[in-house]
Amino acid sequence: MMTCITFIRAGLLALAFVLPLMAVDAAAETPEAASSAVATPTVNELVATFNPDLFGLAADNKTPKTPITNMFTAPASDIAREVLDNTLLNTLVFLPFLILPLVLLFYVMYRFRDRQDGRKAATFMGNHTLEIVWTAIPCLALLVVSVPVWQVLWKMELPPANAKDALNIEVRGKKFAWDYKYQDYQLGIGQDLVGVQEPLVLAKGRTTMMYITSNDVNHAWWVPAFGVKRDAIIGRYTNIWFTPDTLGFFKGQCAELCGAGHGIMVISAVVVSPERFKDYLTIQRHRSEVLAVWKLLQPSAATVDHDALATAVAAYFQKGRSTERELALRYWIASNYASVARVRQLDMTPAQVSARGVERCALLDQTLSQSVAVANVTLTN
Amino acid sequence: MNAPAAPMPEIKRYTGVMDYLTTIDHKKIGMMYLWFVIVMGLIGGAFAGMIRIQLALPGAVLEATNAATLNGTTAPYSWFSENRHLYNQIVTMHASVMIFFTIIPGFIGFANYIVPLMIGARDMAFPKLNAFGFWLLIPSAVLMMSSFFVKGGAAASGWTAYPPLSLEGMGTDPGQDMWVMGVHLAGVSSILAAINFIVTICNMRAPGMTWSKLPLFAWATLFTSIIQLLATPVLAAAVTMILMDRNFGTTFTVASQGGDPVLYQHIFWVYSHPAVYIMILPGFGAISHIFAAFSSKKIFGYMGMVIALGTITVVGFMVWAHHMFTVGMPTYLQAYFMYASLVIGVPTGIKVFSWLATMWGGNLRFTAPMKFACGFIGTFTIGGFGGLILAMVPTDITFQDSYFVVGHFHMVLVGGSTMLLFAMAYYWWPKMTGRMLNEKCASWVFWLMLSGVMICFMTMHVTGALGMARRVPVYYADFKLLNHLTTLGYLLTFASALLFFIQLVASYFKPATAGADPWKINDLQQSFEWATSSPPPAYNFEVVPPIPVADQMEKPH
Repeated sequence: MMTCITFIRAGLLALAFVLPLMAVDAAAETPEAASSAVATPTVNELVATFNPDLFGLAADNKTPKTPITNMFTAPASDIAREVLDNTLLNTLVFLPFLILPLVLLFYVMYRFRDRQDGRKAATFMGNHTLEIVWTAIPCLALLVVSVPVWQVLWKMELPPANAKDALNIEVRGKKFAWDYKYQDYQLGIGQDLVGVQEPLVLAKGRTTMMYITSNDVNHAWWVPAFGVKRDAIIGRYTNIWFTPDTLGFFKGQCAELCGAGHGIMVISAVVVSPERFKDYLTIQRHRSEVLAVWKLLQPSAATVDHDALATAVAAYFQKGRSTERELALRYWIASNYASVARVRQLDMTPAQVSARGVERCALLDQTLSQSVAVANVTLTN
Repeated sequence: MNAPAAPMPEIKRYTGVMDYLTTIDHKKIGMMYLWFVIVMGLIGGAFAGMIRIQLALPGAVLEATNAATLNGTTAPYSWFSENRHLYNQIVTMHASVMIFFTIIPGFIGFANYIVPLMIGARDMAFPKLNAFGFWLLIPSAVLMMSSFFVKGGAAASGWTAYPPLSLEGMGTDPGQDMWVMGVHLAGVSSILAAINFIVTICNMRAPGMTWSKLPLFAWATLFTSIIQLLATPVLAAAVTMILMDRNFGTTFTVASQGGDPVLYQHIFWVYSHPAVYIMILPGFGAISHIFAAFSSKKIFGYMGMVIALGTITVVGFMVWAHHMFTVGMPTYLQAYFMYASLVIGVPTGIKVFSWLATMWGGNLRFTAPMKFACGFIGTFTIGGFGGLILAMVPTDITFQDSYFVVGHFHMVLVGGSTMLLFAMAYYWWPKMTGRMLNEKCASWVFWLMLSGVMICFMTMHVTGALGMARRVPVYYADFKLLNHLTTLGYLLTFASALLFFIQLVASYFKPATAGADPWKINDLQQSFEWATSSPPPAYNFEVVPPIPVADQMEKPH
């Protein structure tokens, strides 16, 4: 069966006239995929993974850094693969009904054109057998496609029964951004500190269940590569599920007219390995606690008060010091700098913001190592 | 003993403009419909142009705009970057004008002119109602167009006007209310026309013209009128909910007070799905005549064609929710609507194959109407194929509200309905004005149209499959090239429409020399409209046309 479907897919892709256009988008290798082999990621790697630049341009300043992927060239979830196979099967079954009339049309137009040779036109006005045949054969084709599509339809509707560790996410559309709530972890994400949509971070191979609703007008959550889409409607929850199976950064757009900002209501999702997802949860848990430190280090602060910084860092570690907390602190400072560098503010160019970010991160690392020394001193005393 | 006869009331006869303002002659009303439609079509086409220009400008690329803001350089230019609300207004009005004022009245206009002639009647059953129906369209169009100039601008919630978006500006911005009233007036006009056609076709056929001899265009008009009569009140109900919610404090669609936005969607599509058949069935009927006429044959499978039209009419009412597969309907409902939608492919297939069989063995003359008819088969088959793909729920969920859908319905509405309207115009223009249209110019119109449609809308399919959402004024840089291609296709299509318009206007400067049967087809076709002069006199026929009309079907052997 699988061989058959693979064959169909290969044949159809070759037939598709859109192939050369679509091939451009294929092969969206991600930096994350390469870096996931490394055991302990650096903060910069984490920032690049969890906070990728949605509108980033490649070196030529024209092509996007990560192209938008779709179900047809790069399916990235089990649902997308399922739907793709079904679409190709249907296309194959229906294709004769596209080709045959067109071929017949050209044939008839050529063969029966008026050649001015006094040929008499035929006089028949009907043929019952023929009419029954071209009624019955399409009906048969419909019967052929109706069974597999029924199975796919139900598969899309009912999540697998064994998905016990599913990731439950509430998706809330609002003008013109998305709020996500990881219900299993009491974690909410939405817009970063400069108001830019944050990506939804998902674990590879982990079934994701989404409960979608809206605060105001209708929206629709759509990431083409996952092969799912559902309207966000105020007053009700709509559900989808899928299991992302490809690492990477995926783009999408709101798919239901929602007002002036419809076009800029972007969607993005990052699929990471389960280990990296654990890192993500850790980082998110400490998000609100880093604010005091961030205030001292943020780009609008021209100089940094070193004593205040040391105090703030010490306060941050009041609840206990661990590698996790340290990672979270370092991550958020770096990540916030990456976010700020993506919007124009403070009359600083992105390069200047980034430079200041590097400087401030180094300063933080220095403060951290000093506070480690202090802690050690305290211990030995 | 007879009472003295009352003197006949004096009938005042006008000429010129006043004649057209007061006329109840179905032919003059038909011509007014068509000129109204052509003008509105050009306006709608201009709206489409604004959309395409916005999407062709460098400022429509999200990444480019973003990069420019970051580097502190001037953001690349686009029309609607400052006013995306206006872009939504243009999108809404493009659809509204094209649907309510171009394609639907276009077919009504042709039916108005041709159906009474075809069935051997001297006028429509209710001539004054007919005039009233036409004149309602003018205030309707004026209402919608003038809403651009009120506070808050025109309706900006798409032609589907989904709440809660269509409830915005409630009580302050009258644009959406004006849109609703415009739809109401257009709807009343549509219902009146439908009643008129049903009564006319049922009662005013020439003696001897039994149902089995009724020309297919009249059949198609009859079925279309039934759809209009039954479905349009539902649209009125849907938009009235919006009107009431906006102005009178009802909560049909307000979720916070027990209403349901999805209720509106269901009721809206109960009209708007059958409406797509209002927009194509009359053309199906007309094109059968064109194929028969220029193949020097009779229509193949007349009864099959009638049954197919009837099936589409009936099943067309049962498939509305395939427009809403992503709202989260129960799976069984989705499955039902999917299978029902697929079923529509069967009668449509019957029609396509029957048209091909009509041409088979004929002596094909590629006159202007025949070119458009053949082009129609090509584009419509492609559009219909897209429809089959879209009917499948799993696939549709990805394609819903993407450019694939836009490509699909433009392929069917421009490649289908508009091609049909052009074919009908070229076919019947000599009858309606007595003037033949220049074949060379028509050829230009056709090839521009065909290439424009193929480039513009085939590209849209690809753009949508790659992930571009509908109704957006900005997009990811990946879609730039494809959008430029679409804009190129638009330019060709619009050039074709403009040329068509010029050709029609220019034809009035030629003498009306076309005879009663300018295409020399009536010996075989025996259709009444070719039996009277071109243009026909006010009373259509001096005597009731000769009977019997030729059989449409082969005699059983």
